[in-house]
Amino acid sequence: VFEREFILEEDDLEEPLWDLEMALLESDIALSVSEAIVNSVKSQLVGTRRRIGSNTGNIVEDALKNAIYDVMSANVFDLDEYVEKAEKPVHIVFIGINGTGKTTSIAKLSKRFKDQGMSVVVAAGDTFRAGAIDQLAIHADNIGVKIIKHQEQGDPAAVIYDAMQHAKAHNVDVVLSDTAGRMHTNINLMEQLKKVCRVAPPDLIIFVDEAVAGNDAVERAAQFNDAVPISGSILTKTDADSKGGAAISIAYITGKPILFLGMGQGYDDIRKFDPQWFVDQLFGE
Amino acid sequence: MVMDKLGNSLQDALKKIVKSGRIDERTVNEVVKDIQRALLQSDVNVKLVMQMSKHIKERALKEEVPSGMSPREHVIRIVYQELINIIGKSTDIPLKPQTIMMIGLQGSGKTTTTSKLARYFQRKGLKPGVVCADTFRPGAYQQLKTLCTKLNVAFYGEEGNPDAVGIVERGLKELEKNDILIVDTAGRHSLESDLITEMEEIHAVAKPDYKLLVLDGAIGQQASEQARAFNESIGISGVVISKLDGTAKGGGALSAVSETNSSIAFIGIGETPDDLERFEADRFISRLLGMGDIKSLIEKA
Ligand SMILES: Nc1nc2c(ncn2[C@@H]2O[C@H](COP(=O)(O)OP(=O)(O)OP(=O)(O)O)[C@@H](O)[C@H]2O)c(=O)[nH]1
Ligand SMILES: Nc1nc2c(ncn2[C@@H]2O[C@H](COP(=O)(O)OP(=O)(O)OP(=O)(O)O)[C@@H](O)[C@H]2O)c(=O)[nH]1
Ligand SMILES: [Mg+2]
Ligand SMILES: [Mg+2]
Repeated sequence: VFEREFILEEDDLEEPLWDLEMALLESDIALSVSEAIVNSVKSQLVGTRRRIGSNTGNIVEDALKNAIYDVMSANVFDLDEYVEKAEKPVHIVFIGINGTGKTTSIAKLSKRFKDQGMSVVVAAGDTFRAGAIDQLAIHADNIGVKIIKHQEQGDPAAVIYDAMQHAKAHNVDVVLSDTAGRMHTNINLMEQLKKVCRVAPPDLIIFVDEAVAGNDAVERAAQFNDAVPISGSILTKTDADSKGGAAISIAYITGKPILFLGMGQGYDDIRKFDPQWFVDQLFGE
Repeated sequence: MVMDKLGNSLQDALKKIVKSGRIDERTVNEVVKDIQRALLQSDVNVKLVMQMSKHIKERALKEEVPSGMSPREHVIRIVYQELINIIGKSTDIPLKPQTIMMIGLQGSGKTTTTSKLARYFQRKGLKPGVVCADTFRPGAYQQLKTLCTKLNVAFYGEEGNPDAVGIVERGLKELEKNDILIVDTAGRHSLESDLITEMEEIHAVAKPDYKLLVLDGAIGQQASEQARAFNESIGISGVVISKLDGTAKGGGALSAVSETNSSIAFIGIGETPDDLERFEADRFISRLLGMGDIKSLIEKA
């Protein structure tokens, strides 16, 4: 140790780490994930040498920021690039818990792809919830994309299969398949989801969850990802909860990237996920 | 299951007290820390958890352990009392003619809960009528109409008309012969000022007896802030926690009732009209703490 340096001890870190952990929890990062990140920062810092006079609080905050940036930038995946290069039709299935924003996100992305000059078909794979087919049909009509639908209570796999057949026959670029919201604990419904993915295999599976979700985000992201391996996630309703810590819980537990953020109910209220921007706003910059 | 793991860790912590035989500060700190973790993991507001745990610690150390009660029983009882203090009794909704207005964030479960409540009153022999005041979400009209048709419940809505306030005015008049009038509204959050204003206008014409805030069981730290905003705007009579059939613990609802001084009326445990249960504080607390039946735990202690 040089004269003008000191060694960071566990005791020095205790308080700043606690404060930051509380801030993470207040941003809706799940407790288990907050603890894991804080512990990794701690073991990374303990025993390192610092210049005398440097602020431990700042050192800890910087390290934490980097740790979160690493989680959020792991396996980045550019959907636009993927779709542009992939063999058409590209089939994307949207999955998640009830009411998180799957159908609305499909509407937003339909418009986005259409604006990019691609042809889009949406598949009304939620045959269960009252009004679900109407909801997607109204969106499709507003945006001007084709919808493939069957009767309410029909077999979701069959609808989605039909949409793929239609897309192949008509040289459609992108098929966005809606599915009914379901609880990860509902074994029958999770089996149904696996069946959909067998009958009409998707190129990508996108998990949709909402920014207002708390600790449960970890549990359901893990279980959906186990059932049908996801390619990435969309976090909706960030306009209601700007911190959006759930994004960190989901990215951490799945190891898959966040692709988009939903930020309102309008069709253009969707933004490509940018890890740097996300970390900056999380730390209030 | 996660819940069991948590439950065991809490129970282990409480056993530590039994082993030590008396209440010392270190043991209490350990137990309180475990309780903190359980509550935070259940999405109770961070500040509320810190405030509560401080109080629990103080009481556990200060209050004498009543004779015939183990130290462990003593601490559990304090935790339980503190939680019951916040939760209070479940919102009492009498079985008589009234108007109920449903409010809440987007996708929280208002429309589904509307159909569940209609079913609930129907089963109690009252005649419900439902008004669709969600003119915003595509398909909202069809969703509610389909649900009501299946239940044979009177329904009023005007497809394509964006004037929610007018619809409520006409709907309530049209359905006035029914006993229970339920107004379903569009989802909104505290930062959408136009929609908050619309809600206030609907409230002014509907003059509801009850305003039920529907909260997703998985809602995190936003619960207090959102509940505060809705309460400030039109007042909340009670909370319905939806989607408790998954793994969410519903701690957001605790934050919401603490923030607004209201109480919880029902819980939603599935997507069908029958998946509604009256709220039971003891079961809810057990779930929050990740313990088995809290009553029997206290009795066993
Ligand atoms: N404020 C806000 N609302 C959103 C956003 N995304 C979706 N919503 C709203 O959330 C509600 C539910 O959205 P849906 O798209 O129907 O959700 P879903 O996941 O398809 O729901 P189910 O099919 O019932 O499981 C609707 O009222 C949407 O308008 C968003 O980014 N911000
Ligand atoms: N598993 C489960 N799903 C539920 C429950 N309550 C509602 N849902 C589902 O959650 C989703 C959203 O419910 P809605 O009733 O449409 O929610 P909402 O608040 O009316 O949504 P907006 O009108 O868009 O704001 C639907 O898929 C419902 O079937 C519940 O208790 N358990
Ligand atoms: Mg949907
Ligand atoms: Mg609704």
